[in-house]
Formats: sequence, structure tokens, C-alpha cells
Amino acid sequence: MKKSSIFGLVVIAIAIAVIISTYSSSSTYGSFNDAKKSEATLQVVGHLNKQKELYYDATKDANYFSFYMKDNKGQECKVIFTGTKPQDFERSEQVVLTGKMVGSEFHASKILMKCPSKYTQDKIEVTEVNAKQASI
Amino acid sequence: MDTAFKGEHLVPGHLGQFFIILAFGAALLSAISYYFAATSTDKLDKSWLRLGRLGYWINTASVIGIGVCLFYIIYNHLFEYHYAYAHSSRALPVYYIISSYWEGQEGSFWLWTFWQAVLGNVLIWKAKSWEKPVMTVVSLSQVLLSSMLIGVELFGTRVGSSPFILLRDVMQGAPIFSRPDYMAYIKDGNGLNPLLQNYWMVIHPPTLFLGFASMVVPFAYAIAGLWQKKYKDWVNPAISYALFAVMVLGTGIIMGSFWAYESLNFGGFWAWDPVENASLIPWLTLIGAVHVMIVYKNTGHAYFTALFLTLISFVLVLYASFLTRSGILGETSVHSFTDAGMFWHLVADVVLFLLLAIVLIVIRWKELPISQKEEETYSREFWMFVGSVFLALSCLQLVFVTSIPVWNAMFGTKIAPPNDKVTLYNVFQGAFAVVIALFMGFTQFMKYKKTDTTRFFITSGIYLVTSLVISAIIIYITGIYKLHVVYMLLMFTATYSVMSNAKVLSDAIKGKFKLAGSAVAHIGFGLLLIGALISAGTSKVVSENTTGEQYSAEFAKANDPRENIIMYKNQPVQMGGYEVTYIGDSISLPNHYFKVDYKKRDKSGKITEEFVLKPNSQANRKMGLVSSPDTKHYLFHDLYTHVSMAPIKYDDELREESMGHEGEANDDKNYDAPVAHAVQVGDTIRFREGFMVLKALNKNAHVQDIKLSGNDVAIGADLEIVSHGKTYMAEPVYMIKGSNGYDFARKVDDVGLKLRLSQILPKEGKIEITVYQQPESKKPYIVMRAISFPYINFFWSGTIIMVIGFLMSIFRRNKELKTV
Repeated sequence: MKKSSIFGLVVIAIAIAVIISTYSSSSTYGSFNDAKKSEATLQVVGHLNKQKELYYDATKDANYFSFYMKDNKGQECKVIFTGTKPQDFERSEQVVLTGKMVGSEFHASKILMKCPSKYTQDKIEVTEVNAKQASI
Repeated sequence: MDTAFKGEHLVPGHLGQFFIILAFGAALLSAISYYFAATSTDKLDKSWLRLGRLGYWINTASVIGIGVCLFYIIYNHLFEYHYAYAHSSRALPVYYIISSYWEGQEGSFWLWTFWQAVLGNVLIWKAKSWEKPVMTVVSLSQVLLSSMLIGVELFGTRVGSSPFILLRDVMQGAPIFSRPDYMAYIKDGNGLNPLLQNYWMVIHPPTLFLGFASMVVPFAYAIAGLWQKKYKDWVNPAISYALFAVMVLGTGIIMGSFWAYESLNFGGFWAWDPVENASLIPWLTLIGAVHVMIVYKNTGHAYFTALFLTLISFVLVLYASFLTRSGILGETSVHSFTDAGMFWHLVADVVLFLLLAIVLIVIRWKELPISQKEEETYSREFWMFVGSVFLALSCLQLVFVTSIPVWNAMFGTKIAPPNDKVTLYNVFQGAFAVVIALFMGFTQFMKYKKTDTTRFFITSGIYLVTSLVISAIIIYITGIYKLHVVYMLLMFTATYSVMSNAKVLSDAIKGKFKLAGSAVAHIGFGLLLIGALISAGTSKVVSENTTGEQYSAEFAKANDPRENIIMYKNQPVQMGGYEVTYIGDSISLPNHYFKVDYKKRDKSGKITEEFVLKPNSQANRKMGLVSSPDTKHYLFHDLYTHVSMAPIKYDDELREESMGHEGEANDDKNYDAPVAHAVQVGDTIRFREGFMVLKALNKNAHVQDIKLSGNDVAIGADLEIVSHGKTYMAEPVYMIKGSNGYDFARKVDDVGLKLRLSQILPKEGKIEITVYQQPESKKPYIVMRAISFPYINFFWSGTIIMVIGFLMSIFRRNKELKTV
């Protein structure tokens, strides 16, 4: 066999290995319900319940932050995060948690939040503008 | 709606919009004319060529016109324009006005268009016989880029996104815009995200986009080569431009990582974020392309790979722009732009250029000069080729993982990105880097075409063994052996590549100087790998928290280590060999600086080292608390300090206070219940965090602005307060004026005390001191995270050396170039 053909095969083999191993290490999006059933770490997409308390008190523990989140199926769960409260968390429109269920609480190791208004703050500005208008 | 709005400045917007349309039309004219110029058989007819140039020049002028209009709008705070409103504010200094200019999608597209216009002019000037076909492709790309800025309705859908759109058009239906005088209510813009208020934001995007823009040039040459059947000739001029693109894009990427390290808070210089990956991928493939082009130039081998990598690099740039701008990364990336309604527009851009490349390759396939001869195993070109293919393979993994949201969108799946993607990327990319660094090392001992085998094995073997010894020592000292085995291998091969290229460099200085460029670039890349490996692999959180109330044992067990510590003002904390104290604040609006004092003591308790770091935060109503770290740089490591939480006032409150609106209302509620102590001179009062001694009574005390007369008396109590090893003085005053008694409290903010001389008890010969102490939760504190990055200077110096190497190579290649 020609050297270039052997090399070609090696390349194809590596490419396939890369794709398979990447695929196998990828996780799945799930709901809190899925998290209850499995032991594994998974990612839950949902929305912060702004009615319930966001708890962070640095003077008690600088690495404890808890809040309530509703997943996309509407189920609510208490979430505990080891760390400080992310900046601007209250304003998040969508939250992606990585973590697993411990008892009835979801322990998140990572929080990714989206504040679309961070770049185009139209919605929020309109309300502010309206408030000013009312005071005149 | 025919309301006549007051106070709007519509001229610059109309002018800008006119320039956008003109830029688009001119680019289209230029592309079509260049196409006919390139296909025309009449060599003497220059009319199409002239028209093509004219079109391109008009396009360049209009692009500059767009920029001037937009700058005028932002600089003059014309908030009736959405772009100025969304990205700028009155408080911004000029240099941040410049950066707010490219914060949004439209501004960064403009930047790209601008650089492409500049490069097109360079090509018109320099490309000679290549001008017609190459400029056809560049103009086509310019057409696509200009169309992204148009922002007009076409058949019911908006095409592109214009920076000149008015605020009232963006927010149609908001009640305020029905008022003709709405401008009177829009006093200020949103401002620039505090995270972006950094000098890197001023220079990083222009550099990055110059890099992106310059990648069109090698692509255009490759297309032109296929199209004009000049299969071999395109490679030579393309190498110089590709090197330029690689150098500039590389610099831009590194600037971004330095900015992230210095000012953002994700605790490092690289996070494998999709947006970072998107810029890295085309950079790697183009580096591969440069190497294979050189192979082809020297030996005639690997033609197809050179062609393929050159073409795919530009397509990947477009793909990167699709990833970051279409909003598709919404769930996986922190800093992608949100969707501006250009999803299919961006897709079309990628597909168009991809198809152009594929179709041309298919049509010309049979004629391509693909060599059927086998390469020698002991030849430099063979291993350069293999190394470049590995580089491309490493990109495959990056593309594959980064594109997970794209797969989901295409196939309707719901795959989430890997939970621990950093480790996954580090191990995978590390493994590829092991191989590539190895090749970077031993190919230096090879020659093109054929190498003397025995000599090769001896020299490369000697260097291999030496590097093994050196890297073993480094691995032991830095503690890399505790990590994944891939990192140890990488350390070994990276050391090897640095050493063998150092040999080439020393040879080059003696004689063959033209080889110096590549050697320098390789040394830089090797050092970069070593630096990245050690600093990222062995970075250590030094602020591990061992105190703090435990919510439950279960929670504490599952969540170690805890990376943030709380520090109360003036209470020293032991942290990773340092005695750390939060000693105070200084405010320079809008930044709030926290002074953190670091002390290192030797065994006898003597201070051997002391310095103050000033991480800062902005508390902004729109963005929340936004912090930037401060870093102590040592030669061999960095100590990075970041405030993640602090009870500070919002910047607008601070601004008001500084203007003198401070409310001196009764603030007793900020303190614990007061405790009164009857004392005489020499007595000691204890409080939670120290004690105070009444030193003396001052009968001549005076209070500012209050004159005493006749029988008035003012008595001050000289108190010496000792808390946490520090001594403070305070003098609360009691005053009898007329027949009334007044007391003037004194605060010692650093200790959280308020002291009153509340009564004079003449019968007992004592006075009454009332002590107000701030509760723990009201005391000033910061929550801080500190990370140590060892040997990070290798990383930075490696990148600088690499860029110098690229520059040297460009000069060398340009010298060889004789364009007709």
C-alpha cells in the first residue's frame, strides 16, 4: 500500500475517534424530573422564579447562593450554587444550569445566564422612560 | 404616522444610509466589472478594469463616509439613533466612545468592511496581473459585507441591520414615541458595558477584524488560480498574505485573551468559549495552509491540501461570524451577540463562498497539478504536510464541539455541550499539540526532498534526549506530573521544539539568515505552549475558604473547594502564605477600588514582602456589580485578585453624594443597640473587636462652625481605640450652650464604631461614653477570589516572539516574490 493511503486511513480513523469521543462526552439537556431519576450530571434550561427569594449572604457564607428555578416543563426546584451570586442574576431571562440533584435540591456547578438586554436594552429602557413620564 | 418630531437630527442618519446604499451598489458594480474584465478576451480593452477600480474606490470612500456619519452621531450623543443610544452615553470619555463604536454587530461589521476596503486598495496597487480575478472575489465579499449593513425591508423581511436606524423605529409602539417632543425625555444612552471599558477594547476588535478581513486575500488568490487555470502561480503571492493574516489574527486573539485575563472575571486567559474557538479555528487552518503552501512551493507535493486549507480557512471565518452573530450559540456562550434577524443572511454568506470553492474544484479537478509521486519519508515536506493535517484535525474537534447548537438546529436533536468542556478541550487539543510540537521539532533537522538518515537520527536523537531531561526537571518543579499524562508529553515535545528551533536560529544567525523567521515563530509557539500548559495546568485558587457557616455537612462535602473568601475591613486573613487585609476603598467614579494589602512574613514574624492590590468594581444599575481584577506580576508567576461581591453603592448614588447631597440623617439603625459606659480618665472600654482607653478630657474642644461664648462649655473625650492591631484616635464632644446640652458623635468607619460623649456625671467624676457598634452584616466587607498563575510570562513572551517570527517570514517571502 502507498504511504499516502496509509496516512489517509490514519487521518480518517482519528477523525472518527474524535467525533465519537466528543459525542460520548457530550451531555444532554433535561428537566428537573430527569435529574431526579438519574445520578449523572446534566444541564437544565429554565427561568428564574423572580417571586421567590434569591438567597445570598456573604457574611454567612460567601460561597452559598440559592434560588428557585422553573425548568422548561414548568417544574420548579430549589437550586444551590457554590459561589457568589452571579452579576445581574435577577435580570436573567434564561438560565442554563449544569449539575445534579442532591435530595430535593439541585446542586449547580455552573450557571450560564442570558440577559439578551445586555446588548440591546430596549425593553428595560422603555419601562424606565415610561416611569419618568408618569412622574411629570 | 406623520408626527413632526422635535429635536431630532436626521441629516447624519440619512447621509449615512445613503453611503451604505452607495457602498453596496459600488461594490456590486466593482464585482461585476472585475468579472467581465477577468473574462474579457480583448487584452487591450481596459474599460471593464477601469470601471471595476472606480467601483471599488467609490465603495472605499462610502465606507469611510459611513464611519464618519456613525462617529458623528455617537460623538455628539444623538440618542435619537438606536446605535448611539444602545452603546454610548454622555459620561464616556472619547477613547471609550471609540470602543462603543464597535460594541454592536453593525459597528463590527463596518470595521470588517473597512479593513477589506483597505486591503482591496492594496491589491489594486500591488496585485498586477492578478488584480482582475482576485479583485472579483474581494469585491464579491465586499458586496456581501455591505449588504449586512443595509437594513431595508425587502419583500417583507429586513435585509441586514443598519447602524442608522432611529430609536423610535426600533421601539415602535412604545407610548413615548407618540409624543412629538420625546427627545426631551431621552437624556442619556445606555452606556458601554463596564466590562468593555478597557483599553484592550479600543484596540482588540480592530486588530481581530483586520485579521479576519485579510483572510479573504489568500482565498481570492486560490479561487483566481483555479478560475484562470494558473494552478501553480497563485501560491507564491498567497503565502505572504496568508502570513500577514495569521500574524494579525494571532495578535488579535492574544489581545483578546490578555484582556480576558486582565479585566474580565472568568479567571484565566482562555476558556474555550465558542466565541473564542470561532476565532481560533480559521487561524489554525490557515497556519496549516501556510505550511502546506511552502511544501508545495518547494517540492510540488501536497497541492490539493494547500488549496483545500486555504479555501476552507476563509469559509471558516464566515462560519465563525455566523456562529457568533446569528444567536445560535444562545445557550452555550456567554458573550455571543444576540440575533439581529440575520440568520439566513449569514447562512447565505457561508454557503455562497463554500459553493464557489467546491464548484471550481469540481470543474477543474482533472487539471489540478496533483503529484502522483510518493514523497520521501525522510523529507521535511512529508512531515510538514502530516503536521498540517494534524493541525486541521485539531480544528475538526473544535468545530465539531463548538457547533453542537448547529447540529441541534439542523437535526432537531437536543445534545448539550460536554459538562466539563475545558478538560475535554485541554486533553484533546493537548494531544494534538503533542504531535504537532514533535513535528515542529524534528522537521528542523530534515531537508527538503531527501535527508541523510544517519545524521538525522543522531542529531535529532541528541536533542530529543536533552529535551527529555530538561522537561523532566520542569515537570517535577512545576508539579505537572500530578496532572493528565498528555500534559507531560506536551511539555516534553514543546521543549523539544523550542530547543531544535533554537539550534536553527543559531545556525541562521551565523549564515542562512532567511531561515530565522520560521525558527523565531516556532520558538514563540513552543514557549506559548509551555506557558499556557504550566499556567493553566497548575493555576491554583489561593483564596480557598475554610471558614464560613456550613449549611449542611452534605453540602460542604460535595462542594469543595470553595473559592471565595469574605474579608471584613481591617481584619487580616491568612490566605495561601499571605496575610491579606482589606484596608479601604478609594473611589474614582465610576470605579470603586478596593485596597487589599498583602503581607508575607518570615518565621520570626518579620514582614518580608508587602504590596497593595486594587481590584475594582462598578455598581451599575443596568449591569449590576461588574468587577475587574488586579494582578501582581512576578517574573515567574502572577497573583490575580478579583472581587466577586461587595456591598457598595450604585455609581449614581455615589455621584450624587459627591455633589453634596449626602443625607446626614440619624443612622443609628445601622448599628447594634448602643451600650453606655461610665468611665473616668484611664479607664478601658471593651468592645467586640478591641478596646479603647479614655486618655484625657479636653476642656478646649471645639466644634467646627459653632462659636462658643460666655458660659458655654465644650468637652472632648480623647479616646484611643485599638482594634486588630491598629490604633485610631477619636474625640466625641459634649457641649453646653446656653442651657442646653448637645453631643457630637464621632465615627471610626474602619472599625465600624460610632462614639458619643452622651453625659457628664459630675457627682461621680465620670463621663458617659455610648458605644455604637456595627453588626457584622453592616460592616464593610468584600468577597474575594485570588488565583495564582505560575510562569504565565512564558505564554506572553511566547506570543510576542511568535508574532516577530511571522513578521520576519513575511519580509523574507516578499523578497522572494516577483509579481508581474
